[in-house]
Amino acid sequence: MIILAIETSCDETSTAILRATKGKLELLSNIVSSQIDIHKQYGGVVPEVAARHHVLNINPVINESLDVARIKAKDIDLIATVSGPGLITSLIVGVEAAKTLSMAWKKPLMQINHMYSHIAGNFLNKIEFPVMCLVVSGGHTELVYLKNYWQFKKIGQTVDDAAGEAFDKVAKLLGLGYPGGPIVSAEADKFKAKELSIKFPRPMIDSDNFNFSFSGLKTSVLYATQKMTAEEKKKKIPEICFGFQQAVIDVLVSKTIKASKQFKVKTVLMAGGVAANKSLRESLKNASENNGYEFFVPEFKLCTDNAAMVALAAYYLSQNKKPKLDNWKKVKVDPNWELK
Amino acid sequence: MQKITSSEQKTFEFAKTFAKRLKGGEVLCLIGDLGAGKTAFTKGLASGLDVKNIITSPTFVLMKVYSVHHDAIKKLAHIDAYRINSGEDLEAIGIDDYFNDKNCVTVIEWADRVKEIWPKNVTKINFKILEGDKRKVTVT
Repeated sequence: MIILAIETSCDETSTAILRATKGKLELLSNIVSSQIDIHKQYGGVVPEVAARHHVLNINPVINESLDVARIKAKDIDLIATVSGPGLITSLIVGVEAAKTLSMAWKKPLMQINHMYSHIAGNFLNKIEFPVMCLVVSGGHTELVYLKNYWQFKKIGQTVDDAAGEAFDKVAKLLGLGYPGGPIVSAEADKFKAKELSIKFPRPMIDSDNFNFSFSGLKTSVLYATQKMTAEEKKKKIPEICFGFQQAVIDVLVSKTIKASKQFKVKTVLMAGGVAANKSLRESLKNASENNGYEFFVPEFKLCTDNAAMVALAAYYLSQNKKPKLDNWKKVKVDPNWELK
Repeated sequence: MQKITSSEQKTFEFAKTFAKRLKGGEVLCLIGDLGAGKTAFTKGLASGLDVKNIITSPTFVLMKVYSVHHDAIKKLAHIDAYRINSGEDLEAIGIDDYFNDKNCVTVIEWADRVKEIWPKNVTKINFKILEGDKRKVTVT
């Protein structure tokens, strides 16, 4: 079985080819627009926010993924596309391209939830269910319970900023540049003292639900730096970054473990761009293993938005229910699609 | 109109009351630094408009559109210009559709970054950080 997958939910245009032979999975290609030289073909420059450029990117990216995989249209058995959640004008490009190919090539089409696809980035490993997955990225922070590959529900989420966004905004407050995640965590590594002179809150850590809140933590960094001179602030950057990062990690780990206990899972997973944070990976791995859970997190290129994870999602979902050949007529963009 | 709020919760409540005077078609331009209360205001506004969803920050995805349960207002478009460099990017994602919709209330955070695309008759809402949790909210 060969799957062509498409992802255009936010900034990246990405397509991938996955081959499954008797349950053995091989990623033949995984093309992400920011990594290939598309603007050469148009003689222009592709700006940072690519939301409006999916329409220019989509055909070259599809062709590239077929070329790299050495696959022809006729070899494809299933097309998969993310239809939500995300930005409507971005999603629509991937969905309309997928529908057109489905109709023209007479291949069944499957719509995939973006959050589920992040989780599926872990499915190259052998997973024991039930599972608790923490999805953390620039745009999302959610806890998702999975009974098996095709039965799952969101049990908690951020009520304001996503964890990755909090990193970006704290970096901005400290004048550290963009993207904030890697910079804040590199600064945090420089802090070697044992005691913190600044205390940061752990928002909602004891709340009786599985929701998160990171907006107030950003404000507490603002307050901590407000009274400092520019020189003091510069000196304190590693300590502030360390304190802030530790507060975020404490809340994420504590709530994920609490949810894992309540739902009596066997495995803890993590997914999304913030899963690249080394301290978070170590903390959640240790906490999971200390509580007797297996722990997995995808390699970095499968953490950020990409179509390989969409193909993996489609493979497992299609084991349960194969879409019909005319399913493209029913596929529709849903910018607010939640895992229920 | 000017209001000094003493906490995030008070900013939320101010917006919730403010929502009652909206009739549909308004464009609210929110201006203020990080942590000044723009998202808290939008959450209060959504609560006042009886939006059922949890309002999360649209910084990353640029725009979120929610269903509103109200006689005249059917949609709340929550837009964030923090991450973009020009108004063109917002025009490209179809922001005009929301500006011209009488049944939609549009909120733009970091609106000062995209002044060139403001329609006529916007409502400007400025947020200023005073000492501690106090904020000055000015509506013009």
